[in-house]
Amino acid sequence: MIIKAAKKYWLEVLLVTPLLAYLLGFTLWPIIHSTIYAFTNYINGDFPSLVSFEAIITNFQFKEAVFNTLFITFFSLFFELVLGLGLALLLLEKFRGRKFFRALMLLPLGIPTIVVASNMRYIFDTNGFLNEIFYRLHLIEIPINWLGGGILTLFTVVIADMWKVTPLVMLILLAGIESIPKEVLEAAQIDGASYLRRLWYIILPFLRPFITMALIIRGIDAFRIFEMPLALTGRVVPVLGTFSYFEYREYGNIYTSAAAAAILMLMIMVAITIYLKVVKQDEVAL
Amino acid sequence: MLRIKTLLLIFFMTSLFLSACAPSQPTLKIVMGLSEDEWEVMRQEIFPPFEEKYGIKIQPIQMEADDLPSALEAQEAAGRVEIDLFAQDNMALSYLVNKGLVEDLSVYEKDLPKTIIPALVDAGKFDGKLYFLPYRPNVQIIYYNAEKFKEYNLKPPRNWNELLAVAKVFKQKEGVGKILFKAYGGAPTATQLYEWIVSAGGDPLAINDEGCVETFTFLQTLWPYCSPDSIRAKFDTSNEYLARDSAYLMQNWPFGIQVIVKDYEKENIATYSGFAGPAREAHVVGGEVLGIPKGAPQKEMALNLIRYLESKEVQEKLISELGWPSVRSDSDALVPLWMKPYVGSVEEALSYGVFRKNVHYWNDFEKYINEAFIEIIIHGKPVKPTLDYYHKMLEAAKQRV
Repeated sequence: MIIKAAKKYWLEVLLVTPLLAYLLGFTLWPIIHSTIYAFTNYINGDFPSLVSFEAIITNFQFKEAVFNTLFITFFSLFFELVLGLGLALLLLEKFRGRKFFRALMLLPLGIPTIVVASNMRYIFDTNGFLNEIFYRLHLIEIPINWLGGGILTLFTVVIADMWKVTPLVMLILLAGIESIPKEVLEAAQIDGASYLRRLWYIILPFLRPFITMALIIRGIDAFRIFEMPLALTGRVVPVLGTFSYFEYREYGNIYTSAAAAAILMLMIMVAITIYLKVVKQDEVAL
Repeated sequence: MLRIKTLLLIFFMTSLFLSACAPSQPTLKIVMGLSEDEWEVMRQEIFPPFEEKYGIKIQPIQMEADDLPSALEAQEAAGRVEIDLFAQDNMALSYLVNKGLVEDLSVYEKDLPKTIIPALVDAGKFDGKLYFLPYRPNVQIIYYNAEKFKEYNLKPPRNWNELLAVAKVFKQKEGVGKILFKAYGGAPTATQLYEWIVSAGGDPLAINDEGCVETFTFLQTLWPYCSPDSIRAKFDTSNEYLARDSAYLMQNWPFGIQVIVKDYEKENIATYSGFAGPAREAHVVGGEVLGIPKGAPQKEMALNLIRYLESKEVQEKLISELGWPSVRSDSDALVPLWMKPYVGSVEEALSYGVFRKNVHYWNDFEKYINEAFIEIIIHGKPVKPTLDYYHKMLEAAKQRV
């Protein structure tokens, strides 16, 4: 059957082969290779071994990286969802300049992360715009060290990430809200339901699958956060991606770098599994 | 349908064949990590005479020091080394030697010009073998905001005690620290710590000797008076912090002169060689060396280019155009007037130059000294026990490597 199909579509197969080879060579093979490295003993080359995992788990910077990754993922998702929902509801209302505002809201999606991070540095630097505004408003006398580390810096990363990605969440939720039958909302309005009650009892239940999708798609992406903390804070906020990067690039520890990458991959796989299960459940429900 | 498919296939194969047969000019691929100003001098002043003499085109490739090892590894693994010659930061050499990515150039040592400073040649040796040849020494100098020092009636610090005193005055007057320490991590922090430890009379590679303990103890005292931007300060960002008045004193490489004085037009920035530690004044001699990748397609031509770059003629051009210190003791070039005081600081700093020991476990040292810095200076852990821990880690790494 396969041979017959291959004979019939030989040119198509021939033309697709380079792309397939590219995908396998540059996606699948590096993942396999990296996983092999992760389970190789960097001292004597034994395989399989958990030595690299032991080495990074006892490292204080790795612990910080795991905490930071989870913190940024959780708070980014929370704020992006709340803000995204608010903006989606706002854009549903009819007002002058709505189309312009909608286009404007999508602008951050088109800006490269590295550019966003560089611009955010101008805002959050000790000599940045934010401190200057606070100073002129007589709110501070000495500059706040937004990027100096700790929870404050983590929230700075969250805000920068939120600015860039909230439009995506807003788009998903806007599509969900627009799919709600107008008759249902109109009927509730005629029956005297307030805006908040319509939001709570009609809009949010209808939006549930869209919220789940937005959360999980963004969740997977948030785990992979890399350029934003690196360009915005340097090494002050290590995340799993940057930890793995520096282990390899700076210190030449390919095995411990691979082990950190494997843990990150595991986190993403868990998120994908949840996503696939939810999608399946929603399909059954429909 | 079959005919169209056949025609498409013939067209595809012919295109491939023609592109493979296209005539190509002989080229020499050289990798360097330079700024645009520096590339301009290379392209317009340095390369053309060589190209004319040898009838070859030089293809310059911009690559940062961090990117070179992976590029060479990938080319070697693919069995297709394309780089003929590279200039690499002399602090990032051990990985290339450990991985066997560079040619052993020991046999060419006898051909080196006699006027090349011998210590610069030794810096390219690993276990007695010469892998890298000198072409650009470098040393960090102190940059300070002369206006602010005058305003607060301060003198540039010449030792650690004076540095601490100056740092305290700035903090008291401005409410925020103005002394910049390169605490970004990686090579910038490791280099600075190396220098400070030597100034304190210690051996940086020991990590926990008396000089190391003294350095970290002093840094713990100094840190609260440092600029909050120190934590993001490295070679490039430091210039920006000084130029934007976020810091009033910093230590950096001489390329900062072009950036701060020319690009940012900050004429109130002055320089001097630096301050002494409890033992002496010492400055790590950095810079770049030239190496030939193992399996380079045009090794002989690359060696010709090395000889040319080390020549008196080229070294003098590099001093007069870029203010780079020379590898030769017989170079005598005219330096532009505005650059003279800065070049003077560089020359003075070079007179206190120390060379980093070329050890195969340099990457591990860099990692552990940085981790020790974060734990002790940023997280406030006790100095001696923490350094003892990292000493043990480094000893284990030495055995492993």
